[in-house]
Amino acid sequence: MTETRAARRRRIRAYGDGPGVRAAALVVLIFLALPLVALVGSSFNPTPLAQFPPSGFSLRWYAAVLTSPDWLVSIQLSVLVAVLTIPSVVILATLTAYGLHRGRPKPLLTSFFMSPLIVSEVMVGLGLLTYLQGTGVLNTVTGLWLAHTLVTLPFAIRTVSISVQALDPMLERAGQSLGAGPLRVFFTVTLPQLRPGIIAGGIFAGVLSLGEVAVSTFVSGPNTTTVPLRIMSAVQFELDPSAAAVSTLLMVLSVVVMVVLSKWVDLSKAF
Amino acid sequence: MKPATRARRRLLEYLPLAPGGLFLIALFVVPLVSLFVLSLRPIDAYYEPLPGFSPDNYRTVFTTAYFSGALGYTLRMALIVTVVCAVLAFPVAWVLSRSTSKVFRMIATIVVVSPLLTSVVVRSFGWRALLAADGLVNGLLTGIGVVERPLNLLSGPVTVVVVVVHVLLPFAVVTLATSLGRIDDSLLRASASMGARPVRTFGRVVLPLSLPGLLSGAIIVFSLSMGIYVTPMLVGGANQPLAGLRVYDLAMRVFNRPGAAALSFVLFAISLLVILVLSALGRAWDRRLHD
Repeated sequence: MTETRAARRRRIRAYGDGPGVRAAALVVLIFLALPLVALVGSSFNPTPLAQFPPSGFSLRWYAAVLTSPDWLVSIQLSVLVAVLTIPSVVILATLTAYGLHRGRPKPLLTSFFMSPLIVSEVMVGLGLLTYLQGTGVLNTVTGLWLAHTLVTLPFAIRTVSISVQALDPMLERAGQSLGAGPLRVFFTVTLPQLRPGIIAGGIFAGVLSLGEVAVSTFVSGPNTTTVPLRIMSAVQFELDPSAAAVSTLLMVLSVVVMVVLSKWVDLSKAF
Repeated sequence: MKPATRARRRLLEYLPLAPGGLFLIALFVVPLVSLFVLSLRPIDAYYEPLPGFSPDNYRTVFTTAYFSGALGYTLRMALIVTVVCAVLAFPVAWVLSRSTSKVFRMIATIVVVSPLLTSVVVRSFGWRALLAADGLVNGLLTGIGVVERPLNLLSGPVTVVVVVVHVLLPFAVVTLATSLGRIDDSLLRASASMGARPVRTFGRVVLPLSLPGLLSGAIIVFSLSMGIYVTPMLVGGANQPLAGLRVYDLAMRVFNRPGAAALSFVLFAISLLVILVLSALGRAWDRRLHD
């Protein structure tokens, strides 16, 4: 579509973004990005203090992380919990999103499934802690797995829902009229159409699991220190630059995942 | 349709909700109910819960300044954070949903969505590096001569608002962007063609139409900021009068779990009240728009 320069300017003045709006947006975007830039910068600091701006450039803290047994144990644990969380969340979220958006609208049930978002993390964590005490699940991988499944489920449901709402009901009806039973229709007609939402929801849940701390602190213990929990204790006492290096790696992973994800699904709808 | 088929269809419609529903009941509803029961238990000198019921934990929450003061401080902080997020979210959401520059739109999306996928621990680390005594902000302040010695910027009410806004602003932006994107271009064009300047168009067309999105963003931001504890704790330390931090402290350091439970339920009740008011406002506004 072509339009003259003057027409474009008129359109921008009418309903696009003028220079004033852009400048204001830019200031806010810098505010959002600045701490992340500071983090990346401080991870390259050659001195044993996470400083920004850094006083030089060195990769020694990245080397320190990759040779430290403590960090490696945490990295393995975090990856394990994320790998366990993804399938459980994907199964629960797919069924739930499908159930919520087929047939009549179910506003009450939808708010029930979204309600973990309204209850503060400190309360969810405390609830899990008191409830799981004495079951032997605290301070285990199972406890983290259950907690992460719970915390990431609403986000995954929303992501899968985007695909469910785009389903064409005629295709399911066509499958039925050709003699397929409900299960067969679900697996051969519905599920393939939901694939983008399911993949996005699973990756999304994995990324959130890798960064989860607010609820994890309550169910974890000395044997189950995930990467973000270890960063958390590093930040609380002293600004350890190796924590900055790990944080940078974690952040780069999130940004890469986001770029990949945006191919499948409009992520801004999932929050 | 025969009743049997209708029942079967209804069962098929609700059956997929069973696994997720049972999971939520087992790991969310039941733990919260048992937490509520715990908050009603009397406690002994070592904060161990005793059998029976008593409102003592709640009385302590309301009568001890350490807790009631934290609740008031948290409520004020959450309201300020909500308003600041609403204001700051507008230009970014506008660019995100309607910018004519594809590049700007893409940059805005990455900058807004990547914090949502980045652990709060990681973001807090960045703030620590920026606000430290030898950090960038203090360097700038001393450099241009505003202050002589570096300030302690890591704690205090302003820092709490700034870091909490930073954590929650992306939520406000994405909710608002959805609602701004839905505004019909012809309305804006009509307003402009009838001679309204952008500011007037904003006040008379954009703001009223985006109010539902603004309010649902406000609800998310408000409820998340009421219970926030990780970011303020990592930036400014555990000794700040935030209710979420007090719950954490009480449960994990003092080991007064019944007290922590009571405080968390009072916090929850307050934020639920504000959420109900906000969503009632939203519904009333929606009716006015569509009548």
